[in-house]
Amino acid sequence: MSDKRVNLSDFNLSDDELFAPVNHDELESEKITAPRYSYWQSVFRVFFRKKINIILLSILAVLLLFTYVYPAVIGYDAAVDPYINLMDSTAKHLSPSAAMDKFGQNIHWILGSGSAGQSTFDAIWYGSSISVSLALVCALINMTVGVVVGAIWGFSRKVDIIMTEVYNVIANIPYILLISVIVLIMTASFWSMVFALTVTGWIAIAYFIRTQVVIIRDREYNLASRCLGTPITRIAAKNILPFMTSVIVTLAAAEIPSYISYEVFLSYLGMGLSEMSLGKLIEASQNAMQTPGWEIEFWSPVAVASIITVVLYVVGQNLGDASDPRTHM
Amino acid sequence: MTRYLINRILRSICSVIVVVGIVMVMIYSALDRNLIFAADSNYTHVKSNAKEVYMMQQWEKYGYLDYVPYGDYLKELLRDDAITQETYNEAIKFANKPEQDSEVVAQYVAQFTEKYESEGYTVVRLNGKMRGNTKRYQDGGEPRLYAYKDIPVPMRLVNYFRDLVTVDNVNYVLDDIPDRGLEFTWYDPVYGGEKFSPAIIGTGTQYKYLVYFNDKFPYFHQNLVKINLGLSYSVRQGIDVFTTMTESQGSNVYSTVTYPSGAVQESADDLHTLSYASGSLESGTPVIKANFVDDYTNVSPIKAGMSRIGYSFTMGIIAVLLSYFLAIPLGIGMALRKEKLLDKLGTVYIVFITAVPSLAYIFLFKSLGGSLGLPTTFDMENPTWLMYVLPVISLALPSIANLMKWLRRYMIDQMNSDYVKFARSGGLSERQIFTKHILKNAMIPIVHGIPSSVLLALTGAIITERVYVVPGVGNMLTRAITAYDNGVIVGMVLFYAVLTVTSIILGDVLISLVDPRISFTSKAR
Repeated sequence: MSDKRVNLSDFNLSDDELFAPVNHDELESEKITAPRYSYWQSVFRVFFRKKINIILLSILAVLLLFTYVYPAVIGYDAAVDPYINLMDSTAKHLSPSAAMDKFGQNIHWILGSGSAGQSTFDAIWYGSSISVSLALVCALINMTVGVVVGAIWGFSRKVDIIMTEVYNVIANIPYILLISVIVLIMTASFWSMVFALTVTGWIAIAYFIRTQVVIIRDREYNLASRCLGTPITRIAAKNILPFMTSVIVTLAAAEIPSYISYEVFLSYLGMGLSEMSLGKLIEASQNAMQTPGWEIEFWSPVAVASIITVVLYVVGQNLGDASDPRTHM
Repeated sequence: MTRYLINRILRSICSVIVVVGIVMVMIYSALDRNLIFAADSNYTHVKSNAKEVYMMQQWEKYGYLDYVPYGDYLKELLRDDAITQETYNEAIKFANKPEQDSEVVAQYVAQFTEKYESEGYTVVRLNGKMRGNTKRYQDGGEPRLYAYKDIPVPMRLVNYFRDLVTVDNVNYVLDDIPDRGLEFTWYDPVYGGEKFSPAIIGTGTQYKYLVYFNDKFPYFHQNLVKINLGLSYSVRQGIDVFTTMTESQGSNVYSTVTYPSGAVQESADDLHTLSYASGSLESGTPVIKANFVDDYTNVSPIKAGMSRIGYSFTMGIIAVLLSYFLAIPLGIGMALRKEKLLDKLGTVYIVFITAVPSLAYIFLFKSLGGSLGLPTTFDMENPTWLMYVLPVISLALPSIANLMKWLRRYMIDQMNSDYVKFARSGGLSERQIFTKHILKNAMIPIVHGIPSSVLLALTGAIITERVYVVPGVGNMLTRAITAYDNGVIVGMVLFYAVLTVTSIILGDVLISLVDPRISFTSKAR
């Protein structure tokens, strides 16, 4: 806005040219003009305002690239590659430098070799593709079921009475017992693990969502909405769900790494997957940890698992913060 | 309040029963029952008919079914004087094939079949298997006759809860013994009968000493009421889960013991644990005969170490205390200096602990601690306080992070609330606002978690105990699962369920005491 005043006569135009009559439009006068607001655009604007998020996101991209693209590019075959040097006793438990001396300077050997003479680096990324996939699938299923059930649970008082009892029961069944029984019944494959982690895993999320819904559903604006005759489904979808987006994103951000951790934990107890996931790698290299010179075999999968979980967690938390509309000002 | 609590407790008991029922269905019905033989070397050795019988016996032991061999049936008839010894001798010799049975045998086999089939049992007769055309049986090829019936889950559940608590009584011993009764004494004979130490001694009861005092925490002990969580079959054969959890471990402690007969010996026997073993005095070794005067000869030794629950709880409770002492000031500090250095460092720590797999940081601290010279394995024989350091740290790390995270969150929420602004505009000093308003309100949800963190310290920690080789309760469930020890699994599940349910109720009671706004009597909402 400039303060400079303009003299109309400077334009040398007639009044007809300067001014045109505007018809009064009932419809137009009802419109409220405000700056265009797009929720997700604002979320990403806030998210990318922080430099750290861009750095983290690029680390995440590199990690995912190695997790999903690298094994495919090198044509990693889980049935063959881990045992390729099984007969070569000089290839086992090599430090990175020794392995590179033996096999040449390439990316496969920068973390040395494992107990069967396999490349630790390749095994880690193949393992991480299994672990990350498991975490993503489980989180997707649990979040979907948990949010839907939690919303119904929070809204209906009848459902609340029943579900609270169901929750008391399910929450008391030890997770390890459930998982080991399911794995024993169905064999320790990827999908039976998914089943084991999701068959009751959703209930904790549902309970959390239920509490949030209970808090929000009786707020004044929802009361008003209900008085005006808005159907419950519309209140849930339009009034409450947007309110909970940030809660859901934050929760999902904590869930995904937690499944990776859980997979590591179960493998350590000998109840994990049959595939060579990250947890399985850590479990298999446990003895190497106590042997001087071999520690890298143990610490490198641990480090990769930790980096993946931390980056996923932090990115998710920051995305959760950004998806809270109160930060959009 | 009382009515509400009773209601809550009843509902909790129901859900505990349902949990145990579900677990029973899972392990007895859903799991393949042949799995228990996976690591059984006997199973691979027995052959032919003997294998079938072995499987039946094992399944009965593990609580899957009720198994009655023909021989046991006849023995029972003999005991009840329904048949004579001669008939028994005759009837027991059933032949290779039903057609070859003698008349007497056929009669009793028919009786056996009829009796058990009417009770819902399946009667199985395995014909003898010969070695080729010779007259000799194959390995384990003798003919077999037995009846079996699966135990349905509801019945198992009822039996389990019926036997959960047993009270010792003077009619426990079935043998004919004189002077049944209880005797109260001020001077416990175990200490020579001169030292003042009240005790109740029973005759006809399972345990000789029903109530007594000794120098071990909690000084007052009883054998009157026993909790039976279920017998173990492979982890510790024939011993109750509750006993496994609570009895002391380690090497024996010797002291001078005066036995009931007056004999004095250097021994580890804890005479307070004497229990009845029928006919043991008569058939016992010379040592037993010299030491004891009655059939109360079954004795456990005094051991140097703590019980499994003792180790887990000691570590757990130190970790809980440590985490509250550290996390509360740290969480408050983070909230007060929001976005400053302390807050940022704290956030990094919280993110690290929450996101990194627990296994990773436990191993990290183990190797860090090990390089500082701290003991990394638990040694029951040479206990030092140092060996608690690393397990306690690895237990406290996650709970510190968790407490800090929530306390900071609650504090910041309270700081931004209207009543704080009002208090400030009313002229209260920041200090008053902080201690009288913010902290009080922010602590309420934290207080709710105290009972559960204390009680759940009893359950031990799976990974920590495994990594530091702690003989605690934490790995009992996982060991039982890998060994298919159904009795232990059910017992541990009940133990966990009761603790969690109790801690939630106690948490609710505690916050209603701390916060006058919370009341369970009026209807909420």
